[in-house]
Amino acid sequence: MRPTLSSGSARAVAVVAMLVAVGAILGIVETAFAPAIPVPGVRLGLANLAVVLALALVGRGAALRVTLLRVLVVALATGSLGGPAFAMALAGALCSWAVMAWLSSLRSLSVIGWSVGGAAAHVAAQLAVASLLTGTAVPLLLAPFSLLLALGCGLVIGYSSHLLLSRLPLVSAEFGAR
Amino acid sequence: MTRGDRIVVALVAALALAAWPLAGMASGHDAAVAVITGPRATYRVPLDATRRLDVRGLESTVTIVVEHGSVRVADSGCRDRLCVRSGAISAAGSAIVCAPNGVTVRIGGRADAPDALIR
Repeated sequence: MRPTLSSGSARAVAVVAMLVAVGAILGIVETAFAPAIPVPGVRLGLANLAVVLALALVGRGAALRVTLLRVLVVALATGSLGGPAFAMALAGALCSWAVMAWLSSLRSLSVIGWSVGGAAAHVAAQLAVASLLTGTAVPLLLAPFSLLLALGCGLVIGYSSHLLLSRLPLVSAEFGAR
Repeated sequence: MTRGDRIVVALVAALALAAWPLAGMASGHDAAVAVITGPRATYRVPLDATRRLDVRGLESTVTIVVEHGSVRVADSGCRDRLCVRSGAISAAGSAIVCAPNGVTVRIGGRADAPDALIR
């Protein structure tokens, strides 16, 4: 899949800014609701929608900008900046971006594959940071369960991204072609 | 969903299943003991005891209760309180993690040289 917007264009800047806002809002909304299944590092990952869209519409650099800015905005809004929760969020988001950026360079994958890979990387990074924070390997005991949950969440977010990209006129291919 | 997507899904599922035996291996012997690790100390509490433990975490205090053969986090000052919502655990190899506080609770497991043994 090739990005539809060239990354330097004004349109791309506007789209990235919009996606940062959307990602931040989704992230804040998600932190307001406690996850249904209480496992550290596992959440639906609504904010990842914005990153997947940035990756699909503009490219890796844009996706990285959306990732970093939304993590920062969410941390500022929820008051967790600099704390252990922030370290987990940042590590998860960056690993997720790195894996999705790599997957997006492979030809036979769609946004669903990116999202699933990103979700798994997110959980793995969060559990790794949790292990560092606690100084024990205990969080890794949760890995099998967390990864299966991440798989489900990644599929949901990936399929949602797919639907958004194919149905929403604002972010469809013709939007970039104009 | 493309073929590549299916491969990614299968890989993640395989990774999850491959990680399963790790949980069993790490749990080891002595399933009748709760091992509580905080940033400052490690405690081992027999599950047949009734104890209330305030562990100082990185951000706040985590209150851990051992009773009726199980252990749970009764209270924590962290934001998401996933540890509290995890409920009580009693099976060998299961664990509760309060990541923001750097506190873990697990059943059994090899002793990592505990600082305190609570009877």
